[in-house]
Amino acid sequence: MGARSQQIDVDGKAFTVQPAGHGCWTVTSDAGIERVWVAGPPGSPTAFYDGRIYEFKILTNAERPSRGQGDSHALSAPMPATVRTVLVKVGDEVAEGETLVVLEAMKMELPLRAPKAGRVAEIRCTPGELVQPGVPLVDLI
Amino acid sequence: MFRRVLVANRGEIAIRVIRTCRELGIESVAIFSDADAGAAHVAAADRAIRIGPPPPNESYLKSDAIIDAARQSGAEAIHPGYGFLSENAAFAAACADARLVFIGPPAGAISRMGSKIEARRLMSGAGVPVVPGETPKDQSTAALLAASERVGFPVLVKPSSGGGGIGMREVHKREDAEAAFDAARRDAEGAFGNGTLYVERLVTRPRHVEIQIFADDRDQAVSLFERECSLQRRHQKVIEESPSPAMTPELRQAMSEAAVAAARACGYTNAGTVEFLLDESGGETRFYFLEMNTRLQVEHPVTEQVLGLDLVRAQLMVAAGQGLPWRQDQLRQRGHAIECRIYAEDPASGFLPQSGPLWLYREPAGPGVRVDSGFREGDTIPVHYDPLISKLIVSAESRATALRRLERCLREFPILGIRTNVPFLLALVRHPDVSAGRLDTGLIDREIDRLVAESGPVLPMPVVVGAAVTAAETAGTAPGGALPEPGADPWATLNGWRN
Repeated sequence: MGARSQQIDVDGKAFTVQPAGHGCWTVTSDAGIERVWVAGPPGSPTAFYDGRIYEFKILTNAERPSRGQGDSHALSAPMPATVRTVLVKVGDEVAEGETLVVLEAMKMELPLRAPKAGRVAEIRCTPGELVQPGVPLVDLI
Repeated sequence: MFRRVLVANRGEIAIRVIRTCRELGIESVAIFSDADAGAAHVAAADRAIRIGPPPPNESYLKSDAIIDAARQSGAEAIHPGYGFLSENAAFAAACADARLVFIGPPAGAISRMGSKIEARRLMSGAGVPVVPGETPKDQSTAALLAASERVGFPVLVKPSSGGGGIGMREVHKREDAEAAFDAARRDAEGAFGNGTLYVERLVTRPRHVEIQIFADDRDQAVSLFERECSLQRRHQKVIEESPSPAMTPELRQAMSEAAVAAARACGYTNAGTVEFLLDESGGETRFYFLEMNTRLQVEHPVTEQVLGLDLVRAQLMVAAGQGLPWRQDQLRQRGHAIECRIYAEDPASGFLPQSGPLWLYREPAGPGVRVDSGFREGDTIPVHYDPLISKLIVSAESRATALRRLERCLREFPILGIRTNVPFLLALVRHPDVSAGRLDTGLIDREIDRLVAESGPVLPMPVVVGAAVTAAETAGTAPGGALPEPGADPWATLNGWRN
């Protein structure tokens, strides 16, 4: 397993991920170099970064909650959360990175941002509602 | 010195004792339950003997099986570690009957200090301050009120035959006393069939400061000074340090003298800890006897780091009849040490204990860093026992530098496969009251929501997502990749974040 690096794009930002061996990965971006440890099965890896633990579920294409056409982008909560505010309404044109919904989980605010510029097609949540991960909250076209 | 010692424990403390045995040229014999057949402490010992099935009652608490194992292996002494049989007077007596040396105090000292009432009576007699309190013979409201005034408000009213906090009432003002007496009396009668009440001075926001003592059978007893263990969650210590930020040379002297007097009063030998409550209310600092722990403590490394000595070596020497290796005037504190307990527990779900495989376990290192661990990468944390994985102990020249070192080490302590309290400890170390040394036993419980919130994942975190996705796509590069899925609820679901 050579020191092959991979380019990866997350939320529109470019990262270079390089294996440092034994579960450690270096992640380089404009912001600098960080070290992340990853372990676990490929479908549900866990990671340690800067004193905190992250658990993931990698969804296959079949598991992705796609709604109809490929160009529709459904946004959902990353963990069970309460909807605090909905900042957009149906028909709004939004820019990439614009906050659409503010969630609250474990006393933290989690902004749900537009992954791409687009128009709000549907809003599927109301403030105060408890939402589960993977359930679409806003549809963007 | 002994030629062979049986270590009647498991996990990090068994390994810690085995290491000192090896340095002294003593052969070590480990014991294990079926759940621990492949455990790190078994691999660390020179020999290991199976005791029984996983439940503690059938293995690590089974004193006759442990004594048989010691005889069978030709061990001359048993080190009990902490927990399990370490404070069991009957086990200490059974060792003596079997002509095995119990590495700890005599059975009589264990039982005297094990009884709260007997310990309090003994301590008062030895001039060790106890929390002022009385059970008036006359249980009328007037007599209870008079007793409360003698004890001094605020007071805690509790059933004299009670326990578990049932029926306890805090009374801050004289005018609230009568109602509190009536309510406590009703609770006491309901719960224990006896309405007799005890009134005790209420110590608000106390610190927990304990003194490590050591005594031998040649009438020598020394104080190895204090450890502050105020950072507790539901009476369970989380972070311990020495020196205490609240300590002055005069207070240290007074507490050390009281602790040594306590040890002498109960006929103590070997390592022990006298726990005190520190009351800083009202402008002057007072201390009160809480209880004595008649064993080596979980947090003993803090004292070892600050004094530069090995307490287990001294335990073995004293038990072998060689006397204490140091005099009081040779003992000096130097710098600062802090320990935190790394647990397999989930702060986000009420600190639920976790069990499962350690896919990845990498200890921090560097100057002033000590990790006493019971597990290795690839080991499994069993469900049957205390979920302590390891203890991280840092030392440095000052408290501020030690705190910074602790923070660095927690940020460099990846443990994956099970959830741990590492993120919680990091939040605690960063709390302003902890940095400032403003500690009391209620701090964690008061701040629990904030601390738990700060120990969760920070989302979205593209850096982590990038690494996790790349690792997942390069299947087999991540440790644990071949293992079955953990089945735990994911905190974060990676869902369409990749464009």
